[in-house]
Amino acid sequence: MILLAALGRRLVTAVPILFVVSMLLFAALRVLPVDPAAMSMPPNATKDEIEAARREMGLDRPLPEQYVLWLGRAARGDFGRSIHHRRDAGKLVAEALPGTIELAMAAMVVASGLGLGGGLLLFMLRGRRMEPVAETATTLMMSVPEFLWALLFIFVFGVALQAMPFTGRLDPGMKLPGITGFLLLDSVLAGRPDILWSAMVHLLLPAVALGLAFAPPIMRVLRASLIDTYHEDYIRQARLRGISEGRILLRHALKNAILPTLTLMGVQFGFLFGGSLLVEVIYSFPGMGNLMVDAVRNADLPIIQVVGLAYCVVVLVINSLVDGLYLVLNPRLRPR
Amino acid sequence: MMPRWMRSARVLAGLGLAALMLVCAMAAPWLAPHDPDEQDLLAMLLPAAWQAGGDETHLLGTDGLGRDVLSRLLYGARVAMTVAVTASFGAALAGAITAYVAGYLGGWMDWLIGRAIDVWMSFPPVILSLILMTGLGTGARNVVLAIVLVDWTRFCRVLRAEVIVVTQRDYVTAARLAGFSHLRTVLKEIVPATMPLLVTLLTLEMGIAVVVEAILSFVGLGVKSDQIAWGQMIADGREAVYQAPWNLLAPVLAIFVAVAGFNLLGDGLRRSLDVRTLEGRE
Amino acid sequence: MSLLVARRLTVATRIGGTIVPVIRGLDIALAPGKVLGLVGESGAGKSMIGRSIAQLLPPGFGVTGGTLEFDGKDLVRMPTNARRSLLGRDIAFIPQEPLSALNPVLTIGDQMAEHFTHLGVRSQPQRLARAVTALEAVHLRDAADLLTRYPHQLSGGMCQRVLIAMAFASRPRLVVADEPTTALDVTVQARIVSLMAELQRRDGTAVLFITHDLRLAGRICDDVAVLYGGAVVEQGPARVVLETPRHPYTRCLQLANPALSGPRRALYALPDQMPGLQALANLHGCHFAPRCPLAGPECRVTPPPLSGNARQVACLHSPLTAGIMSPVTLPRPPTAVAADALLTVRGLAKTYRTGTFFRRRDTHAVVAASFDITPGQFVAVVGESGSGKSTLGRLVMGLERPTAGSILLAGQEVTRSSEAARRHRIRTAQMVFQDPQSALNPRRRVADIVTAALAAAGSDKATRARRAGELLAEMGLAPEIAARTPAQLSGGQRQRVNIARALCILPQLLVADEIVSGLDVSVQAQLLALLQRLRQEHAFAMLFISHDLSVVRHLCDRVLVMYRGQIVEQGATEDVFAYPAHAYTKALLAAA
Repeated sequence: MILLAALGRRLVTAVPILFVVSMLLFAALRVLPVDPAAMSMPPNATKDEIEAARREMGLDRPLPEQYVLWLGRAARGDFGRSIHHRRDAGKLVAEALPGTIELAMAAMVVASGLGLGGGLLLFMLRGRRMEPVAETATTLMMSVPEFLWALLFIFVFGVALQAMPFTGRLDPGMKLPGITGFLLLDSVLAGRPDILWSAMVHLLLPAVALGLAFAPPIMRVLRASLIDTYHEDYIRQARLRGISEGRILLRHALKNAILPTLTLMGVQFGFLFGGSLLVEVIYSFPGMGNLMVDAVRNADLPIIQVVGLAYCVVVLVINSLVDGLYLVLNPRLRPR
Repeated sequence: MMPRWMRSARVLAGLGLAALMLVCAMAAPWLAPHDPDEQDLLAMLLPAAWQAGGDETHLLGTDGLGRDVLSRLLYGARVAMTVAVTASFGAALAGAITAYVAGYLGGWMDWLIGRAIDVWMSFPPVILSLILMTGLGTGARNVVLAIVLVDWTRFCRVLRAEVIVVTQRDYVTAARLAGFSHLRTVLKEIVPATMPLLVTLLTLEMGIAVVVEAILSFVGLGVKSDQIAWGQMIADGREAVYQAPWNLLAPVLAIFVAVAGFNLLGDGLRRSLDVRTLEGRE
Repeated sequence: MSLLVARRLTVATRIGGTIVPVIRGLDIALAPGKVLGLVGESGAGKSMIGRSIAQLLPPGFGVTGGTLEFDGKDLVRMPTNARRSLLGRDIAFIPQEPLSALNPVLTIGDQMAEHFTHLGVRSQPQRLARAVTALEAVHLRDAADLLTRYPHQLSGGMCQRVLIAMAFASRPRLVVADEPTTALDVTVQARIVSLMAELQRRDGTAVLFITHDLRLAGRICDDVAVLYGGAVVEQGPARVVLETPRHPYTRCLQLANPALSGPRRALYALPDQMPGLQALANLHGCHFAPRCPLAGPECRVTPPPLSGNARQVACLHSPLTAGIMSPVTLPRPPTAVAADALLTVRGLAKTYRTGTFFRRRDTHAVVAASFDITPGQFVAVVGESGSGKSTLGRLVMGLERPTAGSILLAGQEVTRSSEAARRHRIRTAQMVFQDPQSALNPRRRVADIVTAALAAAGSDKATRARRAGELLAEMGLAPEIAARTPAQLSGGQRQRVNIARALCILPQLLVADEIVSGLDVSVQAQLLALLQRLRQEHAFAMLFISHDLSVVRHLCDRVLVMYRGQIVEQGATEDVFAYPAHAYTKALLAAA
């Protein structure tokens, strides 16, 4: 109940943000020295034809009016046509989104697992001789961004060891079941373990590359907040009651220290979601990242616009979920 | 006695690596064994000198057009360092000003800046910078501008929280009661207290700027195509990874070393300049 | 046979390569069912003793000698598991800060159930039943409902009751209470103390009661041990020790404490404060000698042993102790000149708006406050935490915008926050802050801090340096302090710098928010004497915000009693204290 109320409240604030974002996106992309009308026509079109197209696309009207027109169409699910692919932009994004979400989720699982485990390990090492070594290691790990991990993995596993596939989402020749677009889910629904396996193998390298890059900040925040928590009176009081150290860590300290970590993980997910773009490009993973980069190279405005909005929507939804979870885990925020 | 930050191994290591990068960037014309744009179509995709088939005059081999990889690497440092330094100072300036305004004045200014950050944070930074680069067009100056426009929020978010904490300290109230103006109170009481944090963030941002510049160049939306950038070298080197792996590995390592230098420096500074120990709060 | 015995117990830490003792050769004994008070100022090492019992000393500290036996077994050398099984079962602890001693993300029920699991209660219904019984024993109503609550939903007093319930749940043989009432309001303090006494008598528990408050120790302890610099200087039956102290330190502490009743007398101000650990370690002879009014060269040779039977004292001059007297005359307040009020406050109110747009909650911090301060008058504001007394001070200083009412300061209306009002206020009124740690910029030198007002007015460097010298001299601070930063000062010195800054341009009104709370008694006495002397020299008025009634009675001419944002009673201090009219004032005085 509390969770639902909080989610509702958070989503209510997300809607205005989405409006502002769509407005900014619209304005930013209209400043471009590119004429979408000219690009949408065959190269041999006459000036009059282009002019007609401009009128048809509403490009001769003032900017605010264009925005209202665009918004009205977007509300009906019409995001315009891709100039490059000559297809419905909304459909293109709908096809690409599940792959990216699947990748980001898998990477987040990797990042959380490594981050929380590593954070606990760093915390256990506090005050020991290994501590500075481990800390320098995390600093160095933080210096490897996701696309370097991706390239290194290709080099090591793909080229040097030739152990893992590193392009696409499936082995060549396999067909997407195409139920929800989420391969792991679809292959189970379709009862195809071979596809499931292939999808998992293809997901492994990109997800680990992405996850590795975003794990170190989680490690550090968990370690720092565990250390802060151990300075609290209630930890000492629990010890004075004779509670064992293991129980103090798991039941008393971790439950408090996870809260700041959770906030960070929410922010991290936004960054990670963006980071997936590079990883997708490097692994030729069909998803939003590749769609976006293609669109940017071809100045495919309708696509850029929808992809930008889609990224924004996913980030806002994830942030709302994290906020809700935070509220569930932190009784101090609940009404008295 | 030396100040504490000078005695930290981390700070010294970070300073060393960052200085190395800066020297490479500044002295590239003297250090580079070849003209980085000189093509040698007879010596294309040479592996590194120590590998089979390597050539001693090309220490890290050549690329697909027969250009010397080491020379290109050194020249690539110029773009990387220029962007890193200017973009991070720009983002720091923009973020700090908004943070001081929001954190000290509070009220509707704080609300407005807070909502602006919300809008910014709803975009993954990479996506936002790509969109900005689409609008701005390629070129080093635009890369800097895009980084500033994206990353001012990193400064503003963190610094604003710190400014609020410092503003609540009684010595800030005392300065106002002594008769100082708002501007002087901010400049003399709050800015010095938040300076260590700002310096730390600035250092870390330099590493981020190196990465962003590489990413943008990698997808072909960074500097102009006639400039040499590490990101572009990676994109080119990827094609030749079987014949001349150092085409890919060299820029990857360069980025890692540069970012590690800034990160070590930032981490070291954060520890040794820790405001909290000075102000007795933990 | 004693339950808890310390024999030559020594606890030490390492500072810069040398080992420095914190507790030196402590001998104490606590018999079953008795209450032993450990009394002393901060730095005396009294908390270290409590923490040695659980062997939970701060990092870097350790027991380096002697034994600490519980029921004949040495707690120091006992294996961790054996000690852990004693903790919470046979030895229980009551903490200083009840609000932070309960885990904020677990319900009271979770934490109590965990405790009963540790005590070996197997089934959940049984644990619940035991928890309810325990909570009822500490007179908490709706125990079953309370179990579902989180700590932040309870008041400090309720949290302390929960912790006491947990401590006594296993009928332990020893309870260690470290300043258990310091963080609580006066009226709550009194109830917690009587609750502890009740449970202690019920179970025949032995209690080690650690406190800085002599009066409190006298009220509830059977025996007391007075600590100074990590060693016992005097111990014996509480009544005897506190009524006729035989050690100069105990005597001076008592004379430094302002009284709540009887004739007002001047306070005895011990010089300086307890030296730091390293300075103490380098002292020869009696550690109290540098501050002792009776000390002679013979005291600086070897530490005097603790001698005597039931009543032990470590002093060469103990027979002379009774001769230490306060200064005879209390500094007289300047004779009141019939003058117009300096500060006139009428119907002042402050309401905070919280909550969302739809569900707004108004908090009335100050409600219709009206009072006057005449030039040179010291007016106290007393009340418990949350009574609005600090908000009242901040309103007077213009740090909060009033919701209603008016403030007239030295003939000028300053209710609205205009620049003219600000300028006028800066010249007329200044504020001394509660926490010198937060009030002094750690990056500034003392000379700059105390003359900030001159700098703001544009004075030149020479003028400022001269004024800084004058101010430090007036505060009784050495001139070389001018070049130091606040981190290099002791707590008492910092508070003097804090006062000096407010007096820099000699305002007519000082607003002082809890400026002596949290300081040791001897330092507090020094500051009170300083304020009285400054008052005679400069004839400023003061709005003195405090929760400590005895200090207020000692210092102030008039008193305003605040309760839930309202001034419920005001009048001349002696009248209000002798004949309180309002029920709340009576409760406050009864509890103090």
